[in-house]
Amino acid sequence: MAEARKSMIKFKPKKFKVGDTIKVDFIVIHPMDTGTKKDKKTGQVKPAHYIDNITFSLDGKPFTTMKVWETVSTNPYFSVNLKVPGKGKITVEYTDNMGEKNAKSKKLKPKG
Amino acid sequence: MERRNFIKGICAASAVAATLTPSTLLAKAEAPKGANAMTFDAAVAAITGGKTATESSKVSLTVPEIAENGAVVPVKVNVESPMSEADHVKAIHVLSTKNGNARCADVMLTPLNGKGYFATRIKLGGTQDVVALVEMSDGTFLKAAKPVKVTIGGCG
Repeated sequence: MAEARKSMIKFKPKKFKVGDTIKVDFIVIHPMDTGTKKDKKTGQVKPAHYIDNITFSLDGKPFTTMKVWETVSTNPYFSVNLKVPGKGKITVEYTDNMGEKNAKSKKLKPKG
Repeated sequence: MERRNFIKGICAASAVAATLTPSTLLAKAEAPKGANAMTFDAAVAAITGGKTATESSKVSLTVPEIAENGAVVPVKVNVESPMSEADHVKAIHVLSTKNGNARCADVMLTPLNGKGYFATRIKLGGTQDVVALVEMSDGTFLKAAKPVKVTIGGCG
C-alpha cells in the first residue's frame, strides 16, 4: 500500500544517564484529515484519515499507550517522559483508522 | 449615456454581491459532521464513569492565551506525582469543550514514565476551553481547564 511514512523519535536532552528522566518526542508526517473538509481540486469531501492508536515501548514492553482522534493537528507531535532504566530500544508503533500500520525505533544509549 | 451605463453596472454588481454572500455563509454552516462527533459532557461521562473530577493545583495545563492558528495549538500537561507503583498518574485525557469531537487524546501512563507529563498539538474550531482530565492510580479524577482565544482570519 502506501510507502512508510516519515517519522522521527527524539530524546531530550541528547545526553543522559541511567536514572535520568528524559523526554521522548515522536513526530510523524500524517494528514490527520477530519472528514469534514472538501478537497479543493475535486470538490469531494475528504474521508477522515487519522492516527488512532500509538504505543511507546521499551524492549517490547509498552510503557505508554495512547488513543488519539482527528482533533490532533496535522503532522502530529507527541511527547512523554521516560525514566531511563538502562540500555534498550525504544519502539513507537502506530495505526490509523484506514488500517495502516507503522513502527519506528531508536536505540537508547545512556552514558555513565 | 456612458455615465448612466456605468452606474447601472455598479448597481448590478452590488446586487449580485449581496445575493452571493448569504448563500456562501449558509454553505459554510452546513459543513458535514465528523465521524466521531461527541459532545464534551458525553466525553467526560464516558471517561469518568459518573465520578466527579476536582480542580487541582497538582495539574498544570500550559496552552497559549491567544492562538493565531486554530489548526495548531500546543498543549502541555504536567501532573505532580511521585510516579511509584502505589501512586502514579494512570491516564491523561486532553479535551476541548466546543469541538465537534471533544476528545483529542487519551494517554495511558505507567510508573516507568517517571513524570506525569504529556505534550501535543491539537486543532481548535474556535474560542473555547481546553480541559485536561487526569486519572490517578487510586481512581480519583483531577482536572484543569484554560480558555484559548482562537483568531482565525486575522483581526476580528
